[in-house]
Amino acid sequence: HTVTKKEKSFNQSLAEWKLFNYNTTTGEFLGPTAKSWGLSLLFCLWAMLQALNNKVPRYRDQIPSPGLMVFPKPVMALDFSFSVSNPESYRGYINDRKKFLKSYVVEEQKNLTDCPDGAFFEQKRLDYTSCRFPLVLLEARSGVDDPGFGYSTGSPCILVKMNRKIGLKSQGEPRIECISKGENTAVLSTYPSNGTIDLKYFPYYGKKLHGSYLQPFVAVQLIFGNRNNVNEVTVEHKIDGSPNLKHRDDRDKFLGRVAFKSTMLNKK
Amino acid sequence: MGLGGRKGTVTPREQNPSPRPKGPKMSKRKMKRKNKREMEELKKEVVMDDHKLTLDELSTKYSVDLTKGHSPEEEQEILARDGPDTLSPPTTTPGWVKFCKQLFGGFSLLLWTGASLCFVAYGIQLYFHEDPTKDNLYLGVVLTVVVIITGCSSYYQEAKSSKIMESFKTMVPQQALVIRGGDKIQIPVQDLVVGDLVEVKGGDWIPADIRLISSQGCKVDNSSLTGESEPQSRSSDFTNENPLKTQNICFFSTNCVEGTAQGIVIATGDSTVMGRIASLTSGLAVGQTPIAAEIEHFIHLITAVAVFLGVTFFGLSLILGYSWLEAVIFLIGIIVANVPEGLLATVTVCLTLTAKRMARKNCLVKNLEAVKTLGSTSTICSKETGTLTQNRMTVAHLWFDRTIYEADTSEEQTGNSFAKGSDTWCILARIAGVCNRADFKANQEYLPIAKRATAGDASESALLKFIEQSYSSVKEMREKSPKVAEIPFNSTNKYQTSIHLREDGSQTHVLMMKGAPERILEFCSTYLLKGQEYPMDDEMKEAFQNAYLELGGLGEHVLGFCFLNLPNTYSKGFKFNTDEINFPMDNLCFVGLISMIDPPRAAVSDAVGKCRSVGIKVIMVTGDHPITAKAIAKGVGIISEGTEIAEDIAARLKIPVSQVNARDVKAIVVHGSELKNMNSEQLDEILQNHTEIVFARTSPQQKLIIVEGCQRLGAIVAVTGDGVNNSPVLKKADIGIAMGIAGSDVSKQAADMILLDDNFASIVIGMEEGRLIFDNLKKSIAYTLTSNIPEITPFLLFIILGIPLPLGTITILCIDLGTDMVPAISLAYESAESDLMKRAPRNPKTDKLVNDRLTGMAYGQIGMIQVLAGFFTYFVILAENGFKPTDLLGIRISWENRYLNDLEDSYGQQWTYEQRKVLELTCQTAFFVSIVVVQWADLIICKTRRNSVFQQGMTNKILIFGILEETFLAAFLSYTPGMDVALRMYPLKITWWLCATPYSILILVYDEIRKLIIRRHPGGWLEKETYY
Repeated sequence: HTVTKKEKSFNQSLAEWKLFNYNTTTGEFLGPTAKSWGLSLLFCLWAMLQALNNKVPRYRDQIPSPGLMVFPKPVMALDFSFSVSNPESYRGYINDRKKFLKSYVVEEQKNLTDCPDGAFFEQKRLDYTSCRFPLVLLEARSGVDDPGFGYSTGSPCILVKMNRKIGLKSQGEPRIECISKGENTAVLSTYPSNGTIDLKYFPYYGKKLHGSYLQPFVAVQLIFGNRNNVNEVTVEHKIDGSPNLKHRDDRDKFLGRVAFKSTMLNKK
Repeated sequence: MGLGGRKGTVTPREQNPSPRPKGPKMSKRKMKRKNKREMEELKKEVVMDDHKLTLDELSTKYSVDLTKGHSPEEEQEILARDGPDTLSPPTTTPGWVKFCKQLFGGFSLLLWTGASLCFVAYGIQLYFHEDPTKDNLYLGVVLTVVVIITGCSSYYQEAKSSKIMESFKTMVPQQALVIRGGDKIQIPVQDLVVGDLVEVKGGDWIPADIRLISSQGCKVDNSSLTGESEPQSRSSDFTNENPLKTQNICFFSTNCVEGTAQGIVIATGDSTVMGRIASLTSGLAVGQTPIAAEIEHFIHLITAVAVFLGVTFFGLSLILGYSWLEAVIFLIGIIVANVPEGLLATVTVCLTLTAKRMARKNCLVKNLEAVKTLGSTSTICSKETGTLTQNRMTVAHLWFDRTIYEADTSEEQTGNSFAKGSDTWCILARIAGVCNRADFKANQEYLPIAKRATAGDASESALLKFIEQSYSSVKEMREKSPKVAEIPFNSTNKYQTSIHLREDGSQTHVLMMKGAPERILEFCSTYLLKGQEYPMDDEMKEAFQNAYLELGGLGEHVLGFCFLNLPNTYSKGFKFNTDEINFPMDNLCFVGLISMIDPPRAAVSDAVGKCRSVGIKVIMVTGDHPITAKAIAKGVGIISEGTEIAEDIAARLKIPVSQVNARDVKAIVVHGSELKNMNSEQLDEILQNHTEIVFARTSPQQKLIIVEGCQRLGAIVAVTGDGVNNSPVLKKADIGIAMGIAGSDVSKQAADMILLDDNFASIVIGMEEGRLIFDNLKKSIAYTLTSNIPEITPFLLFIILGIPLPLGTITILCIDLGTDMVPAISLAYESAESDLMKRAPRNPKTDKLVNDRLTGMAYGQIGMIQVLAGFFTYFVILAENGFKPTDLLGIRISWENRYLNDLEDSYGQQWTYEQRKVLELTCQTAFFVSIVVVQWADLIICKTRRNSVFQQGMTNKILIFGILEETFLAAFLSYTPGMDVALRMYPLKITWWLCATPYSILILVYDEIRKLIIRRHPGGWLEKETYY
């Protein structure tokens, strides 16, 4: 009795397998026509790509206002945990940051333009150029003097940058405002001073035209007030001073703002 | 009454044989075994011996006084022992069991599995992530709600039709006249006990199985038990070994037509012959209905596909480096995505709609699934009386002046075109009207004559109506010549005589006589021709014989009429004595013959022709005489014109019947007694080798054998029946059809469908509807299944290619339960394709509702085009917003990382998690809209399976409404403010609606070409591979 049952299920599964193969008959799923379906899809996509504007996407309304992001990126969530005494715990951050700052070193910026401060750097020529972002603005946080970016001394430096959006011209005087929250607060110092983002870095013209573009950012240094064994602090940044850059959205916690947690273990 | 019982004897109860089985006390298992044996017994003929007993023995056996009956005390005792005299109602499944069956049966089970899988997946996510997406939870809840709602609605539907059933039941309690302790009292039937002395009279319903001890001209209508349409005489004489044929037994639930009788109750309630047959019904095993089998097959298919896909991708996702957890979630997701959530509701609604439509056409469908079963019927076993015929005796022919005249037998009874001018006709009409005991019931003057109810024998009523219709008012005639004496009809005399005052005022009497023609002729010495009397001669006798044979050969019931003007010596005031005849009763004058038949219904022969043209075999099963049966069969075309049965061929070729070449015989009339001696092989042979079969003189048990024979040969059998005796066969048949007017409650209980107008033609209409719904369900399922592919592929590509999810759970539900619903249902309103009734009946073994051609077309071809449309839209929107397709491959990990808020697109812009999620959900909305757009085309191509849409036309208004509705709903879901929060659907730019339209057109063109090729090359490769 059981044998017949097994046979039945085997036959059934065989029939199902056939259903999917279909090679012998119409051949839809894995047969030759599947290939032709695939090819036609590819052709459609290729045709569509040809029709696309290569320089600027057709619609940019999905990014109403840019988001904020911190750098380096922590592994899990936005939580910088490190121990002062253990260099391994922050080596990743330092390497990340070094990599990021590579395009900002003086040699890389040689061919860029020294744009006037406080005004949009609008371009209409064929060959687009970009404004310099001198690391000097970061003063001691540039990594030139301190390759440890303050981690080893217990005052880590984190970069806050605004997302790129093609054609965005921020109004007013945009700046990054930082507030530290939590039981233990930390003294925050921002560089360039006041966290200002200069207007000359707007607008952005897209990867294709504006390949050499250097994204402005603000460095934030955390100096913990108390030297406890465990120092935990939440820092919130938001864009301020510009009416067209939003920093409040119920759903998007990163629209014009970003918050991160920093935990420093101070064990000797 | 020759009574000689031991008066007042009371025998101890132990000696009193109780025919009641002591069933309820047995254990369940025992019961089952016993039931099986009983069932076999019940299928055999009835066994009883009460009819063979003498009255003395009877009195002893039931310890009852044959004049005074039981005393009330005895009655109480026996009642307590045997229970009330009612049929125990068929065991009905309790409401909650039915409800659970609806809730957990068949397709619902698949959805329940899906729902529980969803909850499991949600549970897994909840356990491992602190903030899981609630999609799986929602999906599970929605699935549960869907199953519950559809379960409730189909339960409600079924409950509603059973309510209609309830209303069929007559609420009037039946009464019986019983003699107890010497007093005649009226008691409710259920208080009747074995041994009671009861009296029945014309018009009464027989309250139990009764052994008659005396009778006066008693006749009973046994048609509900034996199928004999003519009233049977009943007397106290033992005339036949077979209890069903002997004259001294009346059966429970038959009717007494005329006369009176007294008898002893020998069985009550369930132990009566009728009761045993009725209980057969509840015990018969019911096979799986074809649609239930179809749905099961379909579930197997879907489940296999789902599991196959799920497992494949489970393996694949592990290979691609997803974690076990993710792979399990994928597995469940794929299995659930394969479940067509809306299909259950669609199928239910389609069936309900058809049931309603059929009810309008006088077919009440009790069991929704029966609608579809009806479509695959290949054999119909129909009884004759009432279904094929009008169930009323009607005068069909007259013979006078040596000529046969035809009377109008149509249901309307309009024209009458025979020689009304002849004097013979006037005399014939007068005899037929006056020498007649039937009467119209009161207060029916407003009704047409043919529709009025009458009291009396069926033949006499037929004559009464006929004369009233075509001559003059019978009432006036009877007033003018009042009846002075009468000898009523009885089976030994075979004639009826009455003496009336002549209406010419001559104060003399006329003797009128009617009866069996050969008996009438014996009385006559003269005959009437054009109003003139001539002496009887051989020429006239021969003419009479020929006419009698001819009319009898038509299966008609022939009566002869004659009269005699009595001489002056018997003038007014003469005391006629009918017991010792004191008046002349010979040398009468023969007037003519009138023959009657229960004429076939008008629409039946068309319906039979229609059945035959589509290859449905119509078998007539009747209790009537073979000659009558054959005549009716010829009349309605069950035996078609020009076809001869073996006896006819033998007569034509003048050879013995045994020498007739069996191959020449296409039609056969099988007598019940022949059937009794056949084994199943012989029956199979008859059923197989003859296209036109009539079973005459069959007992209800034999009907069961016939139906089983047909089913053994693989036919799907529909059976009609009305009597209680038919209920086992109704239950046994694939589709049992009961009669709404003539049918008994038990038969209606057992049937799947009820013909409200008792008309055979309604079955064919029902069959058309059944085929139509089968076709339309196929279309509906093809339509619904198609969108399954564009629903499942996004998830698969999401896993394989690592692209953002192109279609989410909520949008899938919006399609399955939202936009696809009305269009899928609208296909149930689709009119039939031109070849609907030209195709042969569906072979249930090979021709499945959902076959691999259907899935191949829906999944493999149209579905694939839809996938292209959806993905095209998806990629266009992503590209237009900055993510080119090439950059999307493998982006999933970063895309889904909610802490990565500067994801760079192809143009260098950076996106926060929420921003790209909104973009993704916009794409999902667009994918959803694309499916709606391509489903427009799918709906249009699903309208037909072979014909072009241009041949079929766009007359289905519901379908057009469906297209508008789904479009409107899609727009509503996309553009209504707040939808971004409620369903996470986002407004689309108008151009994004257009992305899928080329594919829509492609589907239309593609399928039109396919159908064109199918039509051009019938039976060709493409038809074999893609015609579903």
